[in-house]
Amino acid sequence: MATLRSTSPRVTRRAQARLGVLLVAPLMVLTIIFFVFPLLSSLYYSVISYDGVSADPPFVGLANFVQLFTDAEVWHALGNNLIWIVIGTISPLVIGLVFALLLWTVKRGSRYYRLALFFPYVMPGIAIGIVWGWIYDPINGWLNVALRAVGLGALTTGWLGNPSTALFAVLATAIWATCGFVMLIFLSALQNVDMELIDAARLDRANAVQRVQHVILPQIMPVFLMVTTVTLVGGFSVFDIVFIMTGGGPANASDVLGTYAFTNAFQLNQISYGTVIALLITALSIPCAVALNRLQRRLSLEGMG
Amino acid sequence: MTRLEDPALPALDDAAVGVSAAVTKVGRPGRGRRRLNTAGQHVLLAALSLLWLAPIILIVSTALKTRADVQSNPFGLFSSFSFENLVAAWTGGQFSDYLLNSILLSIPSTLLILLLSTMGGYAFARLPFPGRTAAFYTVILGLLVPFFAFMIPLYFQLRSMGLLDTLVGVDLVLTVTGLPFGTFFMRAFFLDLPAELEQSARVDGAGEWQIFWRIMLPLVRSGITGLGVFTFIQTWNNFLVPLLYLPGGGFRPLTTGLLQFTSGRQIDIGPLAAATLITILPVVIVFLVMQRQVAQGFISGAVKG
Repeated sequence: MATLRSTSPRVTRRAQARLGVLLVAPLMVLTIIFFVFPLLSSLYYSVISYDGVSADPPFVGLANFVQLFTDAEVWHALGNNLIWIVIGTISPLVIGLVFALLLWTVKRGSRYYRLALFFPYVMPGIAIGIVWGWIYDPINGWLNVALRAVGLGALTTGWLGNPSTALFAVLATAIWATCGFVMLIFLSALQNVDMELIDAARLDRANAVQRVQHVILPQIMPVFLMVTTVTLVGGFSVFDIVFIMTGGGPANASDVLGTYAFTNAFQLNQISYGTVIALLITALSIPCAVALNRLQRRLSLEGMG
Repeated sequence: MTRLEDPALPALDDAAVGVSAAVTKVGRPGRGRRRLNTAGQHVLLAALSLLWLAPIILIVSTALKTRADVQSNPFGLFSSFSFENLVAAWTGGQFSDYLLNSILLSIPSTLLILLLSTMGGYAFARLPFPGRTAAFYTVILGLLVPFFAFMIPLYFQLRSMGLLDTLVGVDLVLTVTGLPFGTFFMRAFFLDLPAELEQSARVDGAGEWQIFWRIMLPLVRSGITGLGVFTFIQTWNNFLVPLLYLPGGGFRPLTTGLLQFTSGRQIDIGPLAAATLITILPVVIVFLVMQRQVAQGFISGAVKG
């Protein structure tokens, strides 16, 4: 066998190319059929008016986009996405960092704390939505029971049914689920923190907060940005948890772009309009992802130098 | 991750940093305060862990109560014990069917993702072939583009292909949503392998296929395991894909089955809790058995792009 095979570079290169094409072929076929093709179709859908059934939907040019920018509900939903992004990015970052710093110096039992705090992140969204729905239950829910128990009965409300609290109740649930994930990432970054710098800061009489701010944070900055990217970009396409817990309600109060796109496309049969909203989500999230990724790369390069 | 348990890891609290550990052992004044700090940390972390796990405890408790007790005292913890709810969910609620569907949706798509990502990742990492860069970017584009961008046209595409409301169709879509990360992840593993391995095998007369199958593949086994665990959890938990592409409800998995259960007129909390428990149980088991792989998978899932 070995004697038959030539090892000349040209033969090798041809054999490599042949195997390469063979190995990626199934991957590419699936990617083109189920990703590239529908992605391009989405552009076509955005300039027609498709209701899901008609065989020959009319071309409407930019009418769907005009509707998009004049639709008050789009702006309202986008506003909710921005609330989601700001609060839903900052809170897990802060809480996750506190968890990580608390855990960093613990040796015994640290594994169990990490497991407990991280577990919500791997739970299916539907299970999270169901159990938090119980916690927010207006009558028997833990939250209202606890509020009554400490004499804050005036604050009790139907958290998911009240238009002014629904979005925040869902957001709190999402934050609960995300903190452990952020913690885990920070913990892995903290392993690389230069302890000598912390010693030096201590000798310079820097207190704990100063040490975190001036010594630890700069060293884990790339990771900080990475986590920000993930939560921020995810904030534009948030869907599952909102859909499950409130369905965007009551009366659109907690609608985000994702639920609004879904409602239009699959409940109101405004397929084209739903697609245009989905394209807005795409157009908003991609530049953020790219920009933060660039920043992150530059920072990590600086960190190495 | 595991290195966090290293007892040699320096601590951040007042006594251990700045003053060396050896000095602390001798019994300098720092010692008592240090111990107090550690105890405080443990108390705080235990409380937080309990708080973070409380919703999961609520699911377990409610699932294992008697139906009468759930009616009168729905969210009191462990106030009675019975398997009534589990039996009710299993038989009356069709959850045995949903469980089977969940398995038929997550296992084949996970295996397919592992197979195609490993093949593709190897080709993109080590086999030069014409069009490689373009093909790679096409696949990786999936990391940047949210599912929303193509999910609506994909619905109608599946419908015209006869794949809507079929297990095969949803398995293929789940596969395609996992391929960008899988390919990216496996490629990184193959890129890390030394080129000498490949060259010496070639000199020994090994063909390209043998190099891939016999030499390179066994070296990335840990990567495949990690990706498998991560992908299984992701596909098991997936909510939107079956929600969209199984509208008939014939092959409903646990996630959308639970949604169906909650949208009934009279929500029966006991069986719902039992069904939720059934849904999260596989995730709990995989999570506990494969802690390290899960954590690694989710951490690298964040580094994508």
